[in-house]
Amino acid sequence: MIRIAAVGDVHMDKDVVGRYRPALERLPERADVLLLAGDLTRYGTVSEAQCVADEFGDLGVPVIAVLGNHDYHCDQVSQVVRVLTDAGITVLEGTSTVLTINGIRLGVAGAKGFGGGFAGRCASEFGEPEMKAFVHTTQSIADRLGQALREMECDVRVALTHYSPVPDTLAGEPLEIYPFLGSYLLGQAIDSAPTALAVHGHAHAGSERGMTPGGVHVRNVAHPVIKQAYSIYHLTVDAPSAA
Amino acid sequence: MTGDSRQPQNEYVEAAVQRLLTEHTHIAEQGISVSWRDQRLLLCGEVASQQRREEILRLVTEYFPDVALSVDIGVLSAREPAEAEELS
Repeated sequence: MIRIAAVGDVHMDKDVVGRYRPALERLPERADVLLLAGDLTRYGTVSEAQCVADEFGDLGVPVIAVLGNHDYHCDQVSQVVRVLTDAGITVLEGTSTVLTINGIRLGVAGAKGFGGGFAGRCASEFGEPEMKAFVHTTQSIADRLGQALREMECDVRVALTHYSPVPDTLAGEPLEIYPFLGSYLLGQAIDSAPTALAVHGHAHAGSERGMTPGGVHVRNVAHPVIKQAYSIYHLTVDAPSAA
Repeated sequence: MTGDSRQPQNEYVEAAVQRLLTEHTHIAEQGISVSWRDQRLLLCGEVASQQRREEILRLVTEYFPDVALSVDIGVLSAREPAEAEELS
């Protein structure tokens, strides 16, 4: 079994440093890895990234993150990623990492994702350059996420995004803003590989549970949704076959 | 007879407050819903700290001093989870 802890939308700044630490102290006893589902900061500054590093570095378990839209706001993405990486946090964007946990290879592929909406009610790559660029951005992120998921050599796959891959976990949000909260293209990418779990954040007023059309469990771990420091998911995994 | 909340200019206030909370450099809150309730503007949601709740109230009051507010903004718990979910 693999034990995955996850939270998103922690929006760290100096005023919340230390709030998660009491709940994180026993994390190594309860989970094998912690996933951070984007919006780690409020505006995406280096000083906020340092708060993330202080709060979520040195936890005694690997920490894997994607960035969210807030983390892009100040155009300091490379500096933010460097601060997180220096603290031992793996930051994914169309990339993947594989951890070996009790002999089981856990593959995590991650990307921020983007919007566009869901099947039957989605934006198309058509018309004005701005509209085409919007949809093309999501398509290109989804393509890289799908490729990263398919190419991992592992026993169990997890997808980590900030934007939602399904509408299920947006229930509670106004319908009018669904296109800004996620895209079916992310779900399609997740379904292109035998993924066990997809974790995302972003939708503060959404709900926790959903499933892709291909049957992959989806969990919205935005802090305002889970209302705790992190959630834990136990994935039952078949023992790896002998080489 | 409906109150001012149905008048179109109030919808613009609703939009302006929502954008202020997102775009102001000291707030960046996208998780607060803004709606009219009986001629008062209702701010509803959850934030990470009491300080952020106070910042929101201070800013909205500063920019919209004539708007009566109702506030239902809580501070999120960061407690340890009680149990795990089994997925297979």
